[in-house]
Amino acid sequence: MKITFNWLKQYVDFDWSPEQLAERLTMLGLEVEDVEQVGGNYENIVVAQVLTKDEHPNADKLLLCKVDDGRGERQIVCGATNFKSGDKVALALPGCTFETGAGSPPFKIKVAKIRGVESHGMMCSGKELGLSEDASGLMILPEDAPVGRDFSEYLGPERNDVVYDLEITPNRPDLNSVIGIAREVSALTGNPLKIPEVNLPAMHSPSSTKVEELVDVELDDTELCPRYTARVIKGVKIGPSPEWLRTRLERVGIRSINNVVDVTNFVLFETGHPLHAFDYNLLDNAGNAAPTIVVRRAGDGESFTTLDEQEHRLTSDMLLIADEEKAVALAGIMGGMNSEINEQTTDVLIESAYFKPQNIRATSKALGVSSESSYRFERGADIGICDYASRRAAQLILGTAGGMLAEGLVDAYPVKHEPHEIVLRHERSDRLLGVRIPPKDQVDYMESLGLEVADSSIQGDDPTAEPAATSFRIPSFRVDLKREADLIEEVCRMYGVDRIPSTPPRGAIGTNPFDDVYDLIATVRRILTELGLFEAQGQTLISGDHAYAHTEKVTPLRNPLSSEMDILRPSLLPGLIDALRHNAAHQVFDVALFEIGKAFSMINGKLAERRCLAIAITGARYRPFWKNGQDTEVVDIYDLKGIIEEFLDQFGIRGVRFAKCAEESLPFIESAELSLGKNALGRMGMVSPVISRKNDIKHPVFMAEFDLEGLMPFRNPVRSFKPLPAFPAIRRDVAMVVPESVTHDMVLAVAKKAAPANLKGIELFDVFRGKHIPEGSKSLAYAFTYRHAERTLKDEEVNTEHAKLVQAFKERLDAAIREQ
Amino acid sequence: MPSILDQIEPLERAALDEFNAATGLIELDKARAKYLGSNGAITSLLKQLGGLPKEEKPAAGKRLNEAKSRVEALYSERREELELKAALPDEPTDFTLPGRRRTLGKLHPLTQVTDDIVRSFRKLGFAVADGPEVEDEYHCFDALNTPADHPARDIQDTFFIDDGSVGAPLLLRTHTSSVQIRVMQSQPPPVRIIVPGRVYRRDTSDATHNPTFHQIEGLYVDKDVTVGDLMGTVEFVFREMLGEDVKLRFRPHYFSYTEPSFEIDFSSALVRKMGKDWLEIAGCGMVHPQVFENVGYDPEVWSGWAFGFGIERIAMIRYGINDIRLFYENDIRFLEQF
Repeated sequence: MKITFNWLKQYVDFDWSPEQLAERLTMLGLEVEDVEQVGGNYENIVVAQVLTKDEHPNADKLLLCKVDDGRGERQIVCGATNFKSGDKVALALPGCTFETGAGSPPFKIKVAKIRGVESHGMMCSGKELGLSEDASGLMILPEDAPVGRDFSEYLGPERNDVVYDLEITPNRPDLNSVIGIAREVSALTGNPLKIPEVNLPAMHSPSSTKVEELVDVELDDTELCPRYTARVIKGVKIGPSPEWLRTRLERVGIRSINNVVDVTNFVLFETGHPLHAFDYNLLDNAGNAAPTIVVRRAGDGESFTTLDEQEHRLTSDMLLIADEEKAVALAGIMGGMNSEINEQTTDVLIESAYFKPQNIRATSKALGVSSESSYRFERGADIGICDYASRRAAQLILGTAGGMLAEGLVDAYPVKHEPHEIVLRHERSDRLLGVRIPPKDQVDYMESLGLEVADSSIQGDDPTAEPAATSFRIPSFRVDLKREADLIEEVCRMYGVDRIPSTPPRGAIGTNPFDDVYDLIATVRRILTELGLFEAQGQTLISGDHAYAHTEKVTPLRNPLSSEMDILRPSLLPGLIDALRHNAAHQVFDVALFEIGKAFSMINGKLAERRCLAIAITGARYRPFWKNGQDTEVVDIYDLKGIIEEFLDQFGIRGVRFAKCAEESLPFIESAELSLGKNALGRMGMVSPVISRKNDIKHPVFMAEFDLEGLMPFRNPVRSFKPLPAFPAIRRDVAMVVPESVTHDMVLAVAKKAAPANLKGIELFDVFRGKHIPEGSKSLAYAFTYRHAERTLKDEEVNTEHAKLVQAFKERLDAAIREQ
Repeated sequence: MPSILDQIEPLERAALDEFNAATGLIELDKARAKYLGSNGAITSLLKQLGGLPKEEKPAAGKRLNEAKSRVEALYSERREELELKAALPDEPTDFTLPGRRRTLGKLHPLTQVTDDIVRSFRKLGFAVADGPEVEDEYHCFDALNTPADHPARDIQDTFFIDDGSVGAPLLLRTHTSSVQIRVMQSQPPPVRIIVPGRVYRRDTSDATHNPTFHQIEGLYVDKDVTVGDLMGTVEFVFREMLGEDVKLRFRPHYFSYTEPSFEIDFSSALVRKMGKDWLEIAGCGMVHPQVFENVGYDPEVWSGWAFGFGIERIAMIRYGINDIRLFYENDIRFLEQF
């Protein structure tokens, strides 16, 4: 909503500067988003008259003029051509300076030679004067402009103005008007609100027409349109609007069209009430003496062309203004081509009505049509102002377009609006705001905003005390005031938010089950960063093409912005792959990332949301070091496994099993499932080189993903102290050749089952294939550590136990023991 | 053949000279074997002592042992010297060469900012709460006093989930306020929670918009909670977060789920450096009585406030980041800076 300083001042007095006004409005809740100065400093600019206009002797595109500045003749070189001798113009004299916008130095008028001819000033365009956007030629002043007069004096008080662009919150449709804003200023200053008086000319001569003879109104649906008024003016002359009206509208961003349409727009901005003007003679009277305006629902499939030349297909949920033959306007949204005001219009019907907000909003949304009018109706217009707005428009049309006003108003208003009442308990207001505000002040605030006291004698428990509460009648323009809390907000605004003292934090200690989970997540993050991984944050919305293995379970959006972001991520892995792609595209090939976030999947039509942890590593194992030259080892699957093992250990999860997946699915080419007991926890593996190549990732990529919330219950962070070993250990190494199918886990399982006494540790120290090892086999070398807690072991007892272990390997794993 | 006595001195001198001349451990040990080894010269003299006349034995023995001690002492001394020398690296060390660095990962800047905010709130007794990112219309709008035909719904353009059903669609929450409703539905007052989390708006991504972003929301419900309390807490948290020189301003505003509602602007040296007096940073207000009624709290007994703000915005201000998309690209060169 745009408003200007001068316009506002017509309705309420205040002695604030334009900057102070912006501050006050902001603190009232009308945030000033932009302030624009119109007009400017007119020092050294005078009204002048062009005496002669000749060609410049040395330039084709310049003119040489003589002008009269009131004191004498001046020679001016000029580039514009849109004027003739005798025209009055604004002349900038030497010494005058113009601002040229931010960053550039101001431009100063001097006596100067232009192509060899002296010029003693500059004749100005509307743009140079800051009065219009027109820079194509000189601004020609009216003939009666007095030569020699200071330009600023000539312009009078309208010379400067300030345009404010305000953010009006959707609950306050009444503030989409100059009067509405003036009412706020009036409440704040205590100065009276000056609503223009409308005294329509008396036309009670016997010959004057009564409006009832010219039009009838029929409301088919009083729920969607509870009030409709019509007024008629005959014999108007359509033409351009007077300067004051054009200026007013242009300054708030409305294009001037003609005097009648401009008046309806002016009244819309002034009162906030949308009006529509029809060409009366284009309304069909269906053979009767006078036309009937029918406010009805559209027929399903009925088509209608609005005045922006768009044809719409309507449904029976939409409301139309029609005559008995045809629709003439989309109610509250836009008029029709078939009845708009045009140059031939002589008789005008002014509609001033009220439409149900929800219906206007639904229609506007369904058709994709919105206007200043629908904007206001859908937020809630003022049903009580229909008559005033109509009279105000009539007054201004008569003043700008002439004509004869038909007597009276057709006012279809079957059920009068009854103002509702709200009780404000003054102590309740104090308690919520945290400051004591005397009841009398609270009442004053409400009255200054246009609320009427309905009952001021509501007593509390103590009948001798001040009234505990006051009941207010809510005016029809305040559609946002619905209950006590809304009145308390008004008390707060009028008292001044900045005057409410803040109180130090106090009160209850909060509890929530998630609080501990938050800390667990922080722990996971800490461990992973300590392991050298960087935390990533990926997009939740990704492309369905990147869902990889999860295509059957994806969650699509109904209204995606683009195919790049059309599903909810079913996994964090696609996002991490994208991060690797981004890094590779910027020549960063050594990347270790993790992300914690939600992943979404559709399982049997139900949406599941899980908090996951994903890891991605690729590139150099260590940071570059000068001793290694250009050779850097790149990470492999065991780097990833090492990260996972260390993470699980630090986080307090033991006993996780890694089982190679029998069937692979993207993005992996080889992977293992992680599980604990019967619970699947996640997956880790090597990413398909096809994916790496597609994303220009140079080195092999290894990734893992866990269901983090599934992991948390298995956490056992309890650590207990074990006494440090006091007696020496005995180590026995075993190298065995086993078939490839024998896994490390199987070796451990056999050792566990054989359970040799005093075995305290098993460590794999070599895996070897090749020379002396048959095809399809491998050599595994283990160190077994034996130790007794209370005495030194003897070699012989260890040998006996160890022999049992070796025997078990031979029997159960088909192992050939290699001699040391 | 010279007498034993006469041999002692030249032998000692020769041994000392050789030990001193040795430039390496091997050479030194060779010399040691030559004089002190089992067949060494000094050792064999000792063996010959037995053959001396009885009266010569003590004096010769004493002198020989003294000489041997001196030779052994020099050997130990020289050995230590040469060992230390050998321990030095073959190549000279340049202490200005870069070291072998270990990599430590970093938390994402959004996590760091979130953690700082959470820490401030926890000092005041707030607990962290969470809720689903895929929400229904009830929790995201209706229960927050924003019915379907309310113009305020336009302000937040929403992503809807295509779950194949024809019923009320699921959506991506447009604000963390939906968690207010879930928490109040699940526990009786008082409530004191903060909710950090992801939210979604249907905005095309540019330097200041990303369809995914983060908010943090605070909710406090208790008896006799006032606007003054709201201001006091907000001021505390923002000072902790943005520094003591921060000035805050509360402006009346409109949110459907609070009444009265305010927007919070802040001002600091940083803001003034950006050429502005005030920067809008958060929205807040007293919980609307209708919201309390929707979750079954009695608005006559309980009052409360809520406030929320965008985490990206705070992070952008704190670190001077000018493009929100950087947060979601996971460029290592970006991540390692925080």
